[in-house]
Amino acid sequence: MMEFLQILIFGLALGGVYALMASGLTLVFGVMKIINLAHPIFIIAGAYISYWLFKLFGLDPILSLPIAFVSMFCIGVALYKLVFQREAGNPKFIEMTVLLTFAIALSVDGFLGFLFSNTHRVTSPSYSTDAYIIGELFVPKGQFYAGTISIVLIMILWLFLRFSKIGYAIRATTQNRDAAQLLGVNVAYVSTITFGIGIALAGASGALISFIFSFFPAKHWEWIAILMSLIVLGGMGSLLGAVVGSILLAVIAAFVGDVFGPTWSTMTFFLSLFVILLVRPQGLFGEKIE
Amino acid sequence: MTNPPILEAKGIKAGYDRGPDILDGANLTVSPGQILCIIGPNGAGKSTLLKTIAGLIKAREGTILRDGRPIEGLRPDQVIKHGICLVPQERALFPTMTVRENLRMGGYALENQNIIDERIEDVMATFPVLKDRSGQLARSLSGGEQQMLAMGRCLVLKPEIVMLDEPSLGLAPKIVRQMFEIIHMLRDRGLTIITVEQNAVMGLENADWGCVLDLGKTLFEGPADKIIQDDRIRELYLGKRAKSA
Repeated sequence: MMEFLQILIFGLALGGVYALMASGLTLVFGVMKIINLAHPIFIIAGAYISYWLFKLFGLDPILSLPIAFVSMFCIGVALYKLVFQREAGNPKFIEMTVLLTFAIALSVDGFLGFLFSNTHRVTSPSYSTDAYIIGELFVPKGQFYAGTISIVLIMILWLFLRFSKIGYAIRATTQNRDAAQLLGVNVAYVSTITFGIGIALAGASGALISFIFSFFPAKHWEWIAILMSLIVLGGMGSLLGAVVGSILLAVIAAFVGDVFGPTWSTMTFFLSLFVILLVRPQGLFGEKIE
Repeated sequence: MTNPPILEAKGIKAGYDRGPDILDGANLTVSPGQILCIIGPNGAGKSTLLKTIAGLIKAREGTILRDGRPIEGLRPDQVIKHGICLVPQERALFPTMTVRENLRMGGYALENQNIIDERIEDVMATFPVLKDRSGQLARSLSGGEQQMLAMGRCLVLKPEIVMLDEPSLGLAPKIVRQMFEIIHMLRDRGLTIITVEQNAVMGLENADWGCVLDLGKTLFEGPADKIIQDDRIRELYLGKRAKSA
């Protein structure tokens, strides 16, 4: 029983972080239909921001999270205006975004590799190696903080989407772009802000993963597959889906890792992707494509 | 037409993306407080004309005047500030938002967001069914209720001109009659209404002014009752029902 709880805790904490990583990806897809293959490289970029602020100034990665968030927001806004806005009305936009974001991922990967080399990095605040011991249970502080902060950020995002004026506009644009426009929503503006928020969320999750995983630029290739499987399971474009999908798969992966060995835990994501696409292609919370 | 037009479109050419011109010299004139019905066969460009006025499609040529001031080339979110609102075909609701949230989106363009709740109450007084359904998701409403929500959503802004693209589409005859009663009620409140109707006879019977569009051109504009009487138009566009009428 204790072992079960222990694995559940690991799974949940990791699931929270995955959910934050996936939330920006699913938001950007939902509003703009951009399949952002470059999402994880911006997570890595966020992680580098926290890494260097920690290394140079001793700034705790949790405190540098807002800095990573804001810097990546600015980069997201600039990127959308430079690369995507011109083609937003193009009927082949969705297909084009796959190639465009793939190219962006390659370029940023190369750029980060050039700047920081492909050495494994990790920030090491004191809590990253510490743990809460509750009876026989072992809760690593780093993962606990990262998971909790992720869930709090997602709740803020949810409140923002649910109650703010721009949040209304973002949801309306997701559901019916033309109707939103006809009611006075400046869709170009909403898209720019949403893309900025999506990349900012990547940056924020980068700050958190910087102390729970070691990272290097090319690691994003590994993550894009995992993140895609998370949001496909949840239903592409659905924030709730991204959260449920992430937590579900992270917990399952933790158990698979425990029973069959860690090599197999990554397989969980790919196998489930395969099964979801066969059984329920729209995902758990996605709209059925008619 | 005695009053100066509240909205006028002259020589409009427009089409989708890089495609051919769907509108090829369309004109339209409507006076304040009138119901104008645009009729014409499938593919005549009726919906395209409304979308062009609303700014969803850019006019390639021609002018659109709102009280004499040009508004062509504006984005939809700018056109709406001129008191012009389009209820598109198929209603275009936000399916997984509640009725109240849909209405709230209707007031998105209001400068003063504090009056939204008051406006929503006004709309709910006009369409009491929306009050009963306020917490339900828009997609769970019946066709008639969805049409009322789409119209109500546009009324939150208190526009002066309401454009309805096939408001009767897919509705039962009884609901269609109800819809036209609502349109008359809105006109009586001083709104100017432009409708596009596939059912040309019914559309014209419920309108003051008519506009016949074919192959992207305006063939005829005039009082609705005159159009119904016109033999040539009856034969070409109103079908058998008109002949027997």
